[in-house]
Amino acid sequence: MDTPPQLRADLVLPDLGVTDVIVGVWYARIGERVYHGERVVEVIINGATFDVTAPATGTLIQRSVVPGDHIKTGAVLGAVAADPE
Amino acid sequence: MIDELAAPVALEAYLLGCVDFDSLLSWQRRMVYEVSGDRSRGVLTLCELPPMISIGRSGSHKHVLLDKAELWSRDWPIHWVNRGGGCLLHVPGQLQVFAVLAIDSLGLGLTAYLEMLHDILLTVCHECDARAEIIPGRAGIWSQGRLLAHVGIAVHEWVAYFGAAINIDPDLDPFRSVHCDGSPRPMTSIARERRGLVRPAMVRQRLVELFAERFGFPRTSIFHKHRALAVPQPVHTLAYRSA
Repeated sequence: MDTPPQLRADLVLPDLGVTDVIVGVWYARIGERVYHGERVVEVIINGATFDVTAPATGTLIQRSVVPGDHIKTGAVLGAVAADPE
Repeated sequence: MIDELAAPVALEAYLLGCVDFDSLLSWQRRMVYEVSGDRSRGVLTLCELPPMISIGRSGSHKHVLLDKAELWSRDWPIHWVNRGGGCLLHVPGQLQVFAVLAIDSLGLGLTAYLEMLHDILLTVCHECDARAEIIPGRAGIWSQGRLLAHVGIAVHEWVAYFGAAINIDPDLDPFRSVHCDGSPRPMTSIARERRGLVRPAMVRQRLVELFAERFGFPRTSIFHKHRALAVPQPVHTLAYRSA
């Protein structure tokens, strides 16, 4: 069953101040429950790692990138189906 | 009224000796959790580690030029960690600089924080009269093409942790066995690049002062121990091996 658009929360790469960002590792599998603020995917820049956290509590329903992908600010990395309020 | 009377937030600086790596990681996780809750806090930990290798996300086993038997005989365990940067050999005489700071509360982005961290390390090197430079596009402080200070951090909910390791005056020969940050040339040290002795206490003092100054902490509270941080027990290698 499709997720209603109002419950879909995208995982978006924030502005890290660099152009070359590489996807490091996913910490959650599709279908796994994630909690708001929990790290879901780690990205790598030169000298640092950065945790992209779940934007809402719910279920991870999409992973749009894989480890090793080069991504840019604003890229949608995946999506969470948020729990209804 | 209470806010007006409250003392300004102090940078908590832990000046420690040699600590166990696993307990240091546990301590760091706890500090990240605490700073996430109180984002005005800042914790700086300066310590040494027993000989070991840590491998960050950009590192590879290929950068360690020793086989398992050689690693075992030298008693160099390998720890894979979630910081940026590559391989790093930890040895006595190398100062670990672990900073837990809520960089968003400091008004910094990720790259701005990395630049400030690099600048602090470079300032300390120059104050020690060591030849040192930043190479654009490469993390760390370099001297004559050799890595002098390794930089590798991690950020969770805009709280930065891990930090840097700066070689003050270690034995440099072991660095021929590990390509730190992937560089085929062995690491160098402040002592080597200034061609003279260095006072480690002065390096520690300046690091604390520069962290407080650059990140806007008006006061510094200095501690020399914490119950959560275990000191590694000296082990007689031969006795340990024959046990």
